Amino acid sequence: MSVTVVPWWAAAVAVTAATAAVASLWLLGGSGKRGKGDAEVSSDPDADTSVPELDVVGSGSSFFHRWDPRCKILSLVFFSFMAVSLNHGFELGVGLAVAAGSLAVAGTPLRAAARRLSAMSGFLLILLVIMPLTVPFHEGDRRIVLEGVPFLSFNARGFVLAGRICAKAVIVAVLMEPLLKTAPFSVTMAAVQRLGVPVLLCQMILLMYRYVFVFRHEMQRMWVGMTVRGFRSRSGWQTLGHLGCFLGMLFVRSMERTQRVYEAMLCRGYTGVFPSTVRFCATPRDWAWSALWVGAALGLFALDRWQGAVARLLGF
Amino acid sequence: MHWQATPVAPRSPSEAVLFELDDVSYTYPDGKEALRGVSLSVFEGEKIALVGQNGSGKTTLAKVLCGLISPSRGRVMFDGRAVGKDALSDLRRRVGILFQDPDDHLFCNRLADDVAFGPLNDGASSEQASAIVAEMLDLVGLGAHAAKAPHHLSYGQRKRAALAAILARRPSVLILDEPTANLDSKNTEMLLDVLHRFSGTLLCISHDLMFLYGLCRRAVVLHRGAVHHDTDFEALIAHRPSLRDHGLDFTFRFLCCSGHHGVPAHGDPDPEGFSRRGQERFHHESPASKPLSHALHSFAHPREKPVSDSMEARTGPPLIALEDYSYRYPDGTWGLRGVSLHMKDGERIALLGENGAGKSTLASILVGIRTGRGVYRFRGEIVRGRVSKELWRFVGIVFQDSMDQMVSSSCFDEVAFGLKHLGFTGSRLSRRVHEALARVGLDGMAERVPHHLSAGERKRLSLAAVLAMEPRVLILDEPTANLDPENEERLLGILDDLSTTLILISHDICFVSALTDRTVVLHRGCVVQDLPTAQFLMDDRLQSLYGLDVTYHNRCCRQILSMHGA
Repeated sequence: MSVTVVPWWAAAVAVTAATAAVASLWLLGGSGKRGKGDAEVSSDPDADTSVPELDVVGSGSSFFHRWDPRCKILSLVFFSFMAVSLNHGFELGVGLAVAAGSLAVAGTPLRAAARRLSAMSGFLLILLVIMPLTVPFHEGDRRIVLEGVPFLSFNARGFVLAGRICAKAVIVAVLMEPLLKTAPFSVTMAAVQRLGVPVLLCQMILLMYRYVFVFRHEMQRMWVGMTVRGFRSRSGWQTLGHLGCFLGMLFVRSMERTQRVYEAMLCRGYTGVFPSTVRFCATPRDWAWSALWVGAALGLFALDRWQGAVARLLGF
Repeated sequence: MHWQATPVAPRSPSEAVLFELDDVSYTYPDGKEALRGVSLSVFEGEKIALVGQNGSGKTTLAKVLCGLISPSRGRVMFDGRAVGKDALSDLRRRVGILFQDPDDHLFCNRLADDVAFGPLNDGASSEQASAIVAEMLDLVGLGAHAAKAPHHLSYGQRKRAALAAILARRPSVLILDEPTANLDSKNTEMLLDVLHRFSGTLLCISHDLMFLYGLCRRAVVLHRGAVHHDTDFEALIAHRPSLRDHGLDFTFRFLCCSGHHGVPAHGDPDPEGFSRRGQERFHHESPASKPLSHALHSFAHPREKPVSDSMEARTGPPLIALEDYSYRYPDGTWGLRGVSLHMKDGERIALLGENGAGKSTLASILVGIRTGRGVYRFRGEIVRGRVSKELWRFVGIVFQDSMDQMVSSSCFDEVAFGLKHLGFTGSRLSRRVHEALARVGLDGMAERVPHHLSAGERKRLSLAAVLAMEPRVLILDEPTANLDPENEERLLGILDDLSTTLILISHDICFVSALTDRTVVLHRGCVVQDLPTAQFLMDDRLQSLYGLDVTYHNRCCRQILSMHGA
C-alpha cells in the first residue's frame, strides 16, 4: 500500500477551493437574500426561493421548449438513469458536459440551477469528507496522510467514489432544469399522465404544488405570529410544546382547507377527473431527437461497461 | 321576538320560485345545530342579502342551497325538483358559490385553467373554453394575467379571479360568502360593477351592509339558525331595533364618520350616547344632495380637542422614527421606498392605502420582522442587534386573520403564550391572563378551544393575547375583517379605551376616523400624505386618490343617513 503525504498548504488550498465553489453556488443562487430585504437585488421574479418555481420560464423558445413534453420526459429521464449507472471518469465527464450543454441550450436561469446544486452541496461535501475516511483499504489502495497529522489517513479510493457520486448527482440535478422548467408545470404533469402515471397521483402532485405556496404563506404568518410574542426556537421542552401546537394547528387548517377546496371543485362540476385542454402532437422530429438522446445514453453506458472491448472495436 | 320590519311583499304567481326550503334543519356531526326549521322561497332574479351574526348559520344555509350538504330534516326544492342525488349535477351547474377565501377556488396552476375548469367539466370544447376564459378574465379586469399562477396575484386579484371562475359556468344563481372581506375600496367597486351586470338570482352573505345596500333588495336575517326576518332590505336597515337585536346595527359607523366633528375621539365611547346624538342629528337634516363630508359637517360642531393640540403636547424624542427607509422584497418588488415617519408616544395613526401599497410591510418592519435599508429608531435607539431582538416586548401586532395567531389549545394558553416569554409564571401569569380576557369580554372562556370560537371572539382573543403583554405600541392590521357590526362596535369600544400608541391599518374609514388623530397614506411603497385624520376626512378629493376611492361607501352612507332622517 503506497502512502502519499500531502503538505498542509495543499490541503488548505483544496478545502478553500471546495468552500469557494459552494459559496459561489450559494451566492449565485441568491440563498443569502432569503427572507431579507435588499435594495440592491435584481428584479428577477424567480428570486423567492423557499419553494422552487417550476414553470417560470415555461414560455421560452429553446429546443427543449419546443420538444414534445412526453418525448422530452422519456429521453431525459432515461439519460439520467443511464448517467447514474456510469462508473468511469471519462463517461461521467461526458455526461456532465451533456447536462451543462442542455442547460445552456434550454436558457433557463443559471441562478436556478445554482440554487438546486447549492441545496445538495452540503450533503455532497459531507460525502467527500466521510467516504475517504470510512472506505476500507484494499490491496493497492493509496493512503493519503496530512503532513503533521499521521494518525488521520484518507483512502484515495474513497475520494474517487465520492467524486463519482457527486458527478452523478450534478448530472441529474442539472438535467432537471430543462426537464421541469421548459414547460408549464401543468403541461409537464399532463405529459407524465399520458406516459401512464396514474391520474390520481398526477392530480395530487398538481394540487400539492399549487397549495404548497398557500401552505408556506400560512406557515410563515403563524411563525411570525409566534415570533412577535417572544417565541424563539431553542432546545427544550417548552419549544417542543410550542412546535407541537404549531404543527397541530397547521394540520387542522390544512384539513379544513382541503375540505373547502374539494367543495369548491364539486361546485364547479368536478366528478373525479381534472379536465385538461393540453393536446400533444409528437412529430417525427421529436421522436428523432428522443432516439438520439436514448442512443447517446446507451452509447455512454456501453462505453462505460465495456471500455476495453469498445476501444478494441474502434481500433485503439 | 321583536317587531318584524315590513314583511317582504307577496310575489305574484307569475314569478318563478327557484328555491323552496321547507322546514330545513341541519346539525353538524359534532352536534351543533346550525339550521333550525328554515322555510324560505327564493324567486328568480331576486337579489337577497343573507345577514346575521357570526355563527348564525348563513354559510351552512348557502351550502345547503348549492347541495354541498343535505339537510338533516326538511326539504329543499330547486326549480320544482327536490334536491337529491339525481338533481345534484343540474343544481351545481346552475348555482355558483363564491367562498370567502379565494384560494379555495383557485386550485389550478394557471388562472386560465381555473376559469376553464367549470366549462370543461360541463362539456365545452377547448376552443369554447378558451373563449369563455378570455371573456371572463376581461370582465374582472384580469385579461393580462391568464397565464399567471394564482400565488403570483394579489388578494384582490385572486378574489376577482375566483369570481371569474364561478361566472364561467354561466350560473343562474350566484351565492357570495363575504365577497368584500379584506378588499380595498377599488377592488370592492370592481366587484360591485361585475355583480351589477349579473342578471341572475343573487344571494349575498355579508356583514358589510353598506355594500349590500347598493346591491340587494331583500334581506333574510338568520338568528341562531332560524329565519328571523324576511323583509325588504331598505326596511331592515331603516329599522334600528331589528338591526341591534341581530348584531347588525351599523349606525355607529355614521357616528364614527362624524366622530372627528362631534364626538371626542378618545373619550368614553358610550354607544348609546353616540346613537342618541346621532339620531338627533340624522333627523335634523337630509344630506342627500351634498358630499358626505359636507353632510357630516352640517351635523357637526368643532372638535373639542384639536388633533394638533394633543400632538404638540407630547414632548421628547419620537417613540418611533423611520428615516429614508426602503425595503425591497426578494422578488425585486418595492415594499417601501424612502419612507420617513415619526411617531410620538401615545399617538394614534392610521395607515391607509390600496391593497399592496406597503402598509403591512411597514408594520412588519416596525415590529422587527423585516429589515430594510435606512434608519429605524425605537425610543431613540437604532433598531438592530439586541434592540431588534427585544422589540417584541414593546411592539405588539394583531393580524388581519386572527387564526394566524392561534397556536394553543385553550384561550388561557393563547393569552399566556407571550406572557410566559416575558417571564410571567404562577399566579401573576394567571391573573394577567384573566384580566386580559375580561378586558375584551371573554371572561369565563379561558378553557375554550380558540379554533371553536366565532370570528368576533377570535379577533378579541388575539387582541387579548397582545394586550396582556402591555405593549408600548399596538399595531392592528385590518381589525374589522370578517366581523359583524356588533363585534365591530364592541371592538371599537375596546380599542377606544386603550391608552397605548396605536397604528391602525385599515380600509375602514369609520374606524380610522373614530380611533386615530393622524392619517398616513401610502401609495406604491411611498408616503404620499401625512395629515390630521380630520383633514383627511373632510377632503373628498384625497379620499378618491391613491386607490382609496371610498366614494361608493360615502354614497351609500349618504342615502342611508337620509333614510334615517326621513
